[in-house]
Amino acid sequence: MTRAQKRDQARSAPWAAWRAQHRAAANNSWQKLAVQPVVTGVTWLVIAISLALPSTLLLTLDNLSAVTGGVDRPPQLSVLLTGESEFPVAEELQRTLNAWPEIDDVVLLDRERALSQFIQQTDLAAVVRSLARNPLPHTLIVIPMSATSEVAMTELGQRVQTLSGIDRVIVDTRWVSRLETALQAGWRWVVALGTVMLMGAVLVLGNTLRLAIEARKDEILVVHLIGGSPAFARRPFLYLGLWYGVGGGLVAALLLMMMTWWMAGPVNTLFLLYESPLRMRAPGAFYPVSLIVLGGSLGLLSARLAAERYFRQLVSQAAS
Amino acid sequence: MIEFDRVSRRFGQQDALRNLNLQIDNGEMALLTGHSGAGKSTLLRLLLLLDRPTGGQILVDGQSTQQIQGNAVGHYRRRFGVVFQEHRLLFDRNVRDNISLPLEIAGFSPKDANRRVRAALDKVGLLSKERADPNGLSGGEQQRVAIARAVVARPEFLIADEPTGNLDPALSAEIMALFEAFNQVGVTVLVATHDASLIARSDHRLMTLAAGQFIQAEAA
Repeated sequence: MTRAQKRDQARSAPWAAWRAQHRAAANNSWQKLAVQPVVTGVTWLVIAISLALPSTLLLTLDNLSAVTGGVDRPPQLSVLLTGESEFPVAEELQRTLNAWPEIDDVVLLDRERALSQFIQQTDLAAVVRSLARNPLPHTLIVIPMSATSEVAMTELGQRVQTLSGIDRVIVDTRWVSRLETALQAGWRWVVALGTVMLMGAVLVLGNTLRLAIEARKDEILVVHLIGGSPAFARRPFLYLGLWYGVGGGLVAALLLMMMTWWMAGPVNTLFLLYESPLRMRAPGAFYPVSLIVLGGSLGLLSARLAAERYFRQLVSQAAS
Repeated sequence: MIEFDRVSRRFGQQDALRNLNLQIDNGEMALLTGHSGAGKSTLLRLLLLLDRPTGGQILVDGQSTQQIQGNAVGHYRRRFGVVFQEHRLLFDRNVRDNISLPLEIAGFSPKDANRRVRAALDKVGLLSKERADPNGLSGGEQQRVAIARAVVARPEFLIADEPTGNLDPALSAEIMALFEAFNQVGVTVLVATHDASLIARSDHRLMTLAAGQFIQAEAA
């Protein structure tokens, strides 16, 4: 039996050896982080801020989307007739408007019913009885065809306003479409901000890992010279990137929970303003787990990119 | 067996090695000498596949090194134990962890690795320094740690590039005695040195390089 055969016989099974190498690389990398608590803490914090800020905005938008999703009332026009317009005039206007192709339906609210509803809701019966006449006008609720744009709604309101017997036209529930538009812009803003911040995190991680590689270039060269594969030399840095990323993801999850708690008050007030029964949702398990997975993936990606780039330089130095 | 068959290495217009022929049998110990720039380091770098010849071929146990590419390079290098003049120890690891590095690479279990590290340390006389910080060792001790690292995985070939360059004559003799001890158990040893006193004391084959060619190759 040759020396090489004897040596091979003493080696662990490939799978056990692979596991042992990974365990050693993972432990070694973790120990490197532990002996530099300030550098590690700052790196985790930078990654955490890059992850937590867009995710907090995302969570907020997610919550606000629930408000618009819960409102199925279409945009409508409230057409207030003049005080002198009598009920037959209101009925005539209702028929006229119903004939317009862009209008789906017109509901007539007569002033006597409106007054009784007002008395019921406000408990101001005594005040109303003291009035010489009913101050409320007949009102038409105009519901346009679906998918009417905001511009078309405004034009419709202006056209309705030109009819005789009409005092005012109020475009109602436009806030829903405005909020939806604002939310769409918000989503884009979050995606843009998130992309930029994630790129920033990758660059910060890449630079931190580059410095780690620089600090251990002797080890990389020795490993290269004594027969270590590129994967073996790269492995400790991949674990380093993973620990930075996972740590950053964990801190980001904590930050997200803290920010959610801090933002819950104003967001819940906003819900109340829009008469929504909803309350701001907690991040649950999805957001923290996603942040940790995303952080770990970014760490691995950054480490892989940094290792590829700087290992090539180091190996060419060794060969020169 | 290591064979150089008309090996040349040219850098630009300059020949570092010219049509070099060399044969080192298994179990042999040989010394390679020559002035700085004679081509000693180039020869060792070609043998370790840190560089490739521009002409001729190198055969190790009959296999041409030209065929060794990619991941196979690492496997090939593991057949060699290498001792560098400047030790190349890792100063953020203790002595034991420095020596166990080739075993980690080769995939030895921690238990086997520990046993082999202790055996290697015993051979170089540093068993008591297993947990020591390499920074606290003398130059001679550091070189012995480097030798222990080179032999711990029981390589077929032991290559040393100026292993006594920074040591006094007494320590140099100790280091050479270690190489001879490994050679006696069957390891093929090639030592590149320009230490005249070491060469004078040695009774092994001496090969002298000048301007990329052998000018003297004599058997012991």
